[in-house]
Amino acid sequence: MLLSDKITGGVMVALGATAFIYGSTLPPVPGQQVGPSAFPMAVGAALVLCGTLIAFGIGRHFEEVAEADVASHSAPDLHEPLPAWWNWLALLPPALLAFYALASEALGFLPTAGIMVVIASLAFGARPKLAVPLALIAPFVINLIFLKLLRVPLPGGLLPFPW
Amino acid sequence: MNTVIQAFGLVFQTDVMIAIVASAFYGLTVGALPGLSATMATALLVPITFYLSPIAAIATIITASAMAIFSGDIPGCLLRIPGTPASAAYTDEAYAMTRKGQAETALGICLWFSALGGIAGTLSLMLIAPLLAEFALSFSTYENFWLAMLGLMCSTLVARSSPIKAIAAMLLGLLITCIGIDNPGGVPRFTFGSTDLLGGIEPIPALVGVFALAEVMRALTEREPPKLEHRRLGSILKGQIELTKKYPKQQTRGNIVGIIIGVLPGAGADMAAWVSYAMSKRFSKTPEKFGTGHPEGLIEAGASNNASLASGWVPALLFGIPGDTITAIAIGVLYMKGLNPGPTLFTEQASSMYALYIIFILGNIIMIPFGIIMIRLASRVVGAPRSAVMPVIMIFCAVGAFSTAGNNLFAVWCVAIFGLLGFVMEKNGYPVAAMVLGIVMGTMVEQSFVTSLIKSDGSILPFFSRPVSMVLSSMTIAALLWPVFMWSLEKLRARRAVAA
Repeated sequence: MLLSDKITGGVMVALGATAFIYGSTLPPVPGQQVGPSAFPMAVGAALVLCGTLIAFGIGRHFEEVAEADVASHSAPDLHEPLPAWWNWLALLPPALLAFYALASEALGFLPTAGIMVVIASLAFGARPKLAVPLALIAPFVINLIFLKLLRVPLPGGLLPFPW
Repeated sequence: MNTVIQAFGLVFQTDVMIAIVASAFYGLTVGALPGLSATMATALLVPITFYLSPIAAIATIITASAMAIFSGDIPGCLLRIPGTPASAAYTDEAYAMTRKGQAETALGICLWFSALGGIAGTLSLMLIAPLLAEFALSFSTYENFWLAMLGLMCSTLVARSSPIKAIAAMLLGLLITCIGIDNPGGVPRFTFGSTDLLGGIEPIPALVGVFALAEVMRALTEREPPKLEHRRLGSILKGQIELTKKYPKQQTRGNIVGIIIGVLPGAGADMAAWVSYAMSKRFSKTPEKFGTGHPEGLIEAGASNNASLASGWVPALLFGIPGDTITAIAIGVLYMKGLNPGPTLFTEQASSMYALYIIFILGNIIMIPFGIIMIRLASRVVGAPRSAVMPVIMIFCAVGAFSTAGNNLFAVWCVAIFGLLGFVMEKNGYPVAAMVLGIVMGTMVEQSFVTSLIKSDGSILPFFSRPVSMVLSSMTIAALLWPVFMWSLEKLRARRAVAA
C-alpha cells in the first residue's frame, strides 16, 4: 500500500485538474459574478500545485525528520518483519462493510453481522472456539442496544430480532 | 448567577449523570486498549449521542475523550505500548519507571497530573472563550473566511509530516465538501447522477471511516501486542502531592503549553504531549536523566495533553473551527443538537455553556477514582483479545454510520471508502486529521468565501484591507510560509557547519 510520492502526487494533480475543469463548466448564478464554480476551481488549482510539488519530492525532508522522531520513541520490533501479503489483509474490513451494505437488507442484521464477525475474528487469528460464540452473541447484543436503547430498527431480513 | 444555577440544574439530572458514568468507563476501556485512540472512542460514540438530550450528548463526548486520553497511559506504562497516540511521547519514560519498580508512581503521575491538567484547561476555556466571544461578535464574512483559513493552515503546520502533503490532504477534504447541492448556486456538483451524492458527504461516516475503520485495518496488518502480566500495584496516589510541590514549574508550563496547543486549530493532545516532553527536557537541570525513568518529563507532558483537551473547545465553540480531531467530532454533535457554534452561543445559551464547564470539571474529578479502578483492572482489559474487540468495532462502524444517516446504507459505503482512503493516506504520509478538518470546515469556508466575493463585487481587496482581516490574512500567509523559512534556516545552518 506504500506508493511512491510520484504516484500520489500525480493522483492529486489529476484530481485537482478534474475539479478545476469540471468546476468551470458549472452554470453561474444569474446576475452574480461568483457562483458555485469559484470554490472547486480555487481548490482544484491549489491541489494541482501541491500535487506537483509532492511529485517532485519537495517537503520530503520534513517527513524524514518526523519518522526518525517516532522511530526513536517506539519500542524496537523484536520479531522478524511480517510477510508482505499481510498488508493485503487490510482490505478485508472495507470488503466486509461492502458486504453489509449489499446483503443486510435481504439477509437481515443478525446473520449479516454474524458472518462479518466470524470472518474478521478468524482473520485476526482467533480460534473457532472464540469466533463462533462471538458471532452469535455480539450481533445480538448490538441489535439489542440499537433497538431498545436507541430505538433504531436494524434490517430484519430472514432472521428478525426475536422481540 | 441565575444562569449558573440553571446550568447545575441541567447537569445534575439522571440521564446526564448516567451518561457521564457510562461514558467514563467506556472511555477508560477504549483508551486502555492499545491501538484504539481517543478519537476513535469519540467517533464511535456519535451514533449514541444522536439519541440523547443535548447536554447528555456533550457530556458523553467530554467525559469519554478525557478518560481515553488518560487511560492511554496505562498500557504505555506497563507494556511500552501507548494506548492512544497522545501518550506516545512519554511512553519510554513511563515504562522505564515501571522497570525500576515504580509502576505505581508512574501511573499515579499520569492520573494525577492528567486530572489537574484537565482542570487547568477548563479554567482557560472559561476565561478565554467569553472574552473572545465579545470580540468575535464584530466579525463579518471576510474575517470568518480568514479565521477558517488560519485554522486549516495551522492544522497543516502541526501535522508531523510534510507540510505540502498536509495541505494536499486538507484540500482533498475541502474538495469532498463540494459534493452535493449544498452550495451557493444550489446546483448539483460532482454527483455523477447519483441521488445519494446529492445530499453531499456527511462528516460523521467519513470520520468513522477514517478514525475507526482505518484503525481496524491497520491492526490487521500488525502483530498482536504482548499480553500484560498480572501485577500487584501499591497505592497509586502516594507521593503525588510531594511531586506536585517539587515540580510546580513543570506542571504549570505543561498546562500552559497544552492550553496554547489546544487552542490552535487542528493541534491536539498528541502534539501537546510531544512539544511538552521536548520542552521539559530542554529546560531541565538534569536532561541526562530523561529516558531513564525520571518523573519530570512525565509530569509536564501528562499535564499538557489533558489541558489541551478542554482548550481545544475554545475555537470549536466560538467559530466552529475544531481545536483537534475530537472537537471536530464534537462540532458535528453540537450542530446536531441545535447548539450551533458561534459567539452568540455565549450570550443566548449561556446556561448550556456553564453546563459544559461543569461537566469538564466533574469529568476531571471523577477521573481520579475511576482511573484508579481502571488501573487495578488493567491487566484484564488490556488482555482482551484483539480478535474479539476489533470485529465488534467494525460492526459498530457499520451500524453507527447507518443509524446517524437516517438508516441509509449509503453511509455504510461511505465508511468503507473513507476507511480505505484513510488507510492509504496514512501509509503514504498524508495526515488524515488535516483532511477531516477540511471536511468539517469546507462548507463554512466556501460560504464565507463566496458571500464575501459577492459583497465586494468580485474584488479581493476587502479580504486584505479591513483591519482584523489584514491581521488574520498575514497570519495565514505566515503559516503558509513558515515551513519554507524553517527549511532554509536549516540549510543555512548546515552550510555554515560545513564551512566551519
